[in-house]
Amino acid sequence: MADAATLASQTSRVNWLRWFLLAGRVILGAVFIYAAYTKLREPWMLFAFAVNAYQVLPEWAVTIVARGLPWFELTLGLFLILGWKLRWFSSAAAGLLAFFFSLMLYTYIKNPRTDAISCGCFGFGEKLGPLTLARDGALLALALAIVAGAFLMSRRRA
Amino acid sequence: MSRRSSFRFGSLIAVYAALLLCSVGLLSARGKQSQPRPKSAPAQFDFRAAKTIGSKSAPILLEVFSDFQCPMCRVFFMTTTQQVIKDYVTTNKVYIIHHDFPLDMHAHSKEAARWANAAAEIGKFQEVETALYTTQDKWEATGNIGDVLSTVLSPAELKRVQTLMAKPEVQAAIDQDVELGKQRNINETPSIFVTHNGQMNQIPTRGASYGILKQYFDYLLRN
Repeated sequence: MADAATLASQTSRVNWLRWFLLAGRVILGAVFIYAAYTKLREPWMLFAFAVNAYQVLPEWAVTIVARGLPWFELTLGLFLILGWKLRWFSSAAAGLLAFFFSLMLYTYIKNPRTDAISCGCFGFGEKLGPLTLARDGALLALALAIVAGAFLMSRRRA
Repeated sequence: MSRRSSFRFGSLIAVYAALLLCSVGLLSARGKQSQPRPKSAPAQFDFRAAKTIGSKSAPILLEVFSDFQCPMCRVFFMTTTQQVIKDYVTTNKVYIIHHDFPLDMHAHSKEAARWANAAAEIGKFQEVETALYTTQDKWEATGNIGDVLSTVLSPAELKRVQTLMAKPEVQAAIDQDVELGKQRNINETPSIFVTHNGQMNQIPTRGASYGILKQYFDYLLRN
C-alpha cells in the first residue's frame, strides 16, 4: 500500500517535471527564435554595431558574431522546441545566456554611461539597463532549470 | 448744325476721349512699373544648412548630434567622420548634418556651440568645428575658446564671430537642434542617425566604428 502511494507520488512528480520541461523549452525556444528573427530581419551590420558597442571583441570577430549568432540562436530555438537532445541543446542555451548575462552585468557595472550601449538582445536599439539584466537573468534561470530537469529525466529513464 | 456734322463732332469727341483714357491708362501702368519694389524681410540665415558637409542629393544622410566638449564626439569626429568625408562625402554618397547637443555636464560646450554657429554665419563652420575638436583639451581646461579659434579665424573674422554670438538667432539655432534631439529621445553624445530611402536608424554610439559603418553604407548603396 505504502509502495503504491510512493509510486503514485513519484509518477506525479515525473509528470509535473515533464510538463515543466515541455513548457520551459517551448518558451525558451520561442524566445531564441524571436531573438534570431529580430536580428535577421535587419542588415547584420546593425547588430554588429550593438556587438561592437560592448568593446570586447576585435572588429573581425564582431563581424563573425554578428553574422553567425542569429543563426545559432535560431538553431537552438528550433531544437529546444523539438526537444531533441534536450540535455545538450538546453546546456548550450544556458551557456550562451550565462555568457550574455555576465557580459551585460560586467558592462553595466563597469560603465556608468550605459545609455551608450545597446543591449543587442532582440535586434538593436534597446538600451542596456536593469530591466534588460533582470529579463536575461530570468531567462538564464529558466535555462538552468531546464538543464537540471533534462538531466534528471534522463537519469530516471536510465 | 446739320445732323451729319453733329454726328462727326460726336465721333471726334468719342475718339479723343478714348485716346485720353488709353494715355492715362498707359501712363499709370508705367508709373506703377517705375515705383520701387517694396522691401522684403531680410532672409533668415539657415544655420542647419550651414552645418552640413557634402551634397544634399547624396543617397545617405548621416546626422550627428554632438557636444564639442564631449571626448567621444571628438574621437568620432577625428576618426570616423574624417574617413566618411574622405570615402563617401567627396563622392556624393553621404551627406553629413551636424546637430548641436551641448550637455549640461560640460562647462564650456554651450559657449563652444555658440562660437561654431556664429562662425557658420560667415561660412567658417567646418574650420571652427575642426579646431574645436582638435584643441578640445586646451579650451576645456582654460575655457578660453577664442584663443584656440584665432588659429583658424583672422582677427577681423574673430571679432565678427564674437559679435554674431550675441545674436538671439544663434542661440535659437542651437535650441532648435537640442529640441530635435529631444524629439528623437537622445540623451547622450554623439548620437548618430543614418537615413536611407526614408528609413532612419540610430546607430549605437560606441559601436559605430568606421569599419562596420563602411560595410553598412556599402550595403545601403547596393540596395
